[in-house]
Amino acid sequence: MTSHLALMALFAVFVSTVFATLMRDEPRDQLWFGSKLFVGFIGAGVLIGWLLYPLPL
Amino acid sequence: MRAAAADQVEPAINKYLVAVLAWAVPGGGHLLLRRHQKGLTFLVALTLMFATGLWLEGRIFPLGFDVTQPLVGLAAIADLGVGIPYFIAKFMGHGAGRVVAITYEYGNAFAIVAGLLNMLVVLDAWDIAEGRK
Repeated sequence: MTSHLALMALFAVFVSTVFATLMRDEPRDQLWFGSKLFVGFIGAGVLIGWLLYPLPL
Repeated sequence: MRAAAADQVEPAINKYLVAVLAWAVPGGGHLLLRRHQKGLTFLVALTLMFATGLWLEGRIFPLGFDVTQPLVGLAAIADLGVGIPYFIAKFMGHGAGRVVAITYEYGNAFAIVAGLLNMLVVLDAWDIAEGRK
């Protein structure tokens, strides 16, 4: 597996899962918080990727 | 009323034992504290994350301090944070790392972050054992 996006998504899954489990007690809350974290990770990754697109100038 | 409240009090478990177990086996501290759902989630997620790092040809950094490469020492401490899986991987000859592999840096990131996350899990287990959570 060498897709950057897929590896980033896999990394986001692991980190979101652990953080959601650490910070929320109820499984329902964990799922909701973990989903938000995951979307945030992917969104931030894609956004930063596009911001860096014109570099090096 | 008092008896019912007493029933809900968790048996006292040595917090040092919890911390050591939490470090050695990801999620082990939570399992000992009867937080089964959290413990199993940590066990599966962190072990799988560390194994993925090795699968992506990441390196298990050697312990020891080299003045010319201080980040290697820090990466080794982070790797060690995952506990027994670190030693199993070392024993089985994994984690040599292949620098020219396209996934080498990803593998390092997965293994290092798995160790760092387990350190957070240890702190969480400690807090639970102390009665703060």
